[in-house]
Amino acid sequence: MTALLEVQDLRVTIGSTAAVRGTSLAVDKGETHCLVGESGCGKSISALSIMGLLPKGSVRETRALRFAGEEIGGHGEREMEHLRGNRMAMIFQEPMTSLNPAYTVGSQMTEVLRRHRPVTRAAAVDRAAELLARVGITAPGLRLGQFPHQLSGGLRQRVMIAMALMCDPELLIADEPTTALDVTVQAQILRLLAELQKDLGLGILLITHDLGIVARVADRVSVMYAGEVVESAPTAELFAAPEHPYTRGLLTCVPVPGKVKRDEPLGSIPGVVPRMQPGFTGCAFRDRCPEVTAACSGSFPRRTIGNDHQFLCTLEPGWVGSAAA
Amino acid sequence: MSATATHATPAPAAPAIEVRGLRREFRVRQGMFAAPRQVIAVDDVSFAVPAGSVLGVVGESGCGKSTLARLILNLLAPTSGDVLVDGKRLADMDRRARARLIQPVFQDPFASLNPQRRVRDIIAMPLIAQGDVASDDMHRRVAEAMERVGLSRDQALRYPAQLSGGQRQRVAIARALVLRPRIVVCDEPTSALDVSVQAQILNLLAELRRDLGLTYLFISHNLAVVEHIASEVAVMYLGRIVERAESERLFAASRHPYTRALLASVLTPEPGLGVPDVGLGDIMPDPANIPPGCRFHPRCPIAVARCATEAPKAIADAAGLVECHLAESVG
Repeated sequence: MTALLEVQDLRVTIGSTAAVRGTSLAVDKGETHCLVGESGCGKSISALSIMGLLPKGSVRETRALRFAGEEIGGHGEREMEHLRGNRMAMIFQEPMTSLNPAYTVGSQMTEVLRRHRPVTRAAAVDRAAELLARVGITAPGLRLGQFPHQLSGGLRQRVMIAMALMCDPELLIADEPTTALDVTVQAQILRLLAELQKDLGLGILLITHDLGIVARVADRVSVMYAGEVVESAPTAELFAAPEHPYTRGLLTCVPVPGKVKRDEPLGSIPGVVPRMQPGFTGCAFRDRCPEVTAACSGSFPRRTIGNDHQFLCTLEPGWVGSAAA
Repeated sequence: MSATATHATPAPAAPAIEVRGLRREFRVRQGMFAAPRQVIAVDDVSFAVPAGSVLGVVGESGCGKSTLARLILNLLAPTSGDVLVDGKRLADMDRRARARLIQPVFQDPFASLNPQRRVRDIIAMPLIAQGDVASDDMHRRVAEAMERVGLSRDQALRYPAQLSGGQRQRVAIARALVLRPRIVVCDEPTSALDVSVQAQILNLLAELRRDLGLTYLFISHNLAVVEHIASEVAVMYLGRIVERAESERLFAASRHPYTRALLASVLTPEPGLGVPDVGLGDIMPDPANIPPGCRFHPRCPIAVARCATEAPKAIADAAGLVECHLAESVG
């Protein structure tokens, strides 16, 4: 079976910064693939470059960028416009900035559908109302006539999701969709996405910095660091047996109620994510890594464990750290 | 109006900070001709924090937790009620005396540091404001505060824009410590930071508390973070503390349905558990429109008829405090 989305060796350079340095990932139909990492690691840029929405002045190269089996890496703006909002849709962190404050919810939602499908206004309004109800909004008729500022944050994000679904997309890219929301609302939105995915067979690429979200919703996880995927595995395996020192470090940083005693220090990773220059070789994590050796400055292959777990490190699988507790 | 706070913490320490019947109202206009509406952002809040311990305050946005922080810091005047430090009313002190006792650390170090000042001058500002600190003493104390928070000497001359988010938050903490206060009010101190940096800052705050005997009021929407650092937790809902208990007890056996919903929505990194149904429905709390009876009843999964008409009285007992008709007294 071909993957719904397949990205091979994606590279994005913005000015003198190598923002994405050889990212590969695949999303199957009905699968949630989480891209996780700290700010500045290139996860949003990866998503934008898949959608063809990179800022001006950035350069994208890929070995392959396939959507539903079709190579779209060479598509021009017109061809991408046919796909975007139609077969592949995206939702963003802050719905207030991605909804137009000057238009009603209804006119923004119907515009998406009428741009891509030959439907009447009345049919588009019906479809919008149906989807608002589908994402759990009561009184959809009332909401269609309202402006974004009249809605709460959770409602706005539901509207964004409904709008993304107007044309029945196959792929949904969600960039930190719940980061701006309260935890209670976050849980509701994530449940909604999971339910929609099950019903509609959506492939979801979910970008987040929150390992809790990853653990709860992802089928597969790719951990990004400084523009590359340093580890990728099925979710249960990644949490049970992380291999990359960065993944292991990140997991010790998260306070888990009942796991770490109060006043016992959390694990932490010294330093910050570096800004990468083009032409950098070796491991980008080596300056922060407790296991660094001379080999880390050279180039080395990606390791594969089993048939589905890859990581990019000089260490042997199952390594025991010198600093391990 | 206010019940004297009874705190269930076993520590015999006298309260470093005590809040009595604190209330703050705002008048909000919702249109040019609409009559202004009254918003009660903080409604009769009382608690005491023993010296050297940490009170965590949690709740959703709009629950009044940041207003509470600003009232305690005296950045806002309360409509009624008092804040006492070591038994003395903060409102009776002058600004300098207050600054020596209580200091803030805010969420966003990008916004809370003056971008046009060097790190050294930002940290020295509270000392300068005191007006009577000699300059060599000032240099020594700035250097000492920087060392405490893990900033290197060569960072003294940098500007905030030249620092990372974590370093900026260290500058904000150094500035809060330079007057050697008794109490630090931390309002979402790690919310703008990445997880690896968040862990560094939480570890630093815990270490400073131990070494300097500080008392924290720690406000956060992240319950996992609060559980890690706080000895006692207060849960706020639409301006009131609806439950307060020792941290272990609150996480193990919460008594308010709202606390239970908040706890259920914490997504711990444990695969296979899925996303829980927190059972709150889609009605959002509106501080300008507080429901009659129990203010939580429209969202409460276990509400009974009485909850819609009668406001629950606070039960203050051995387990802490809870405001719910269905909660039972302990001990």
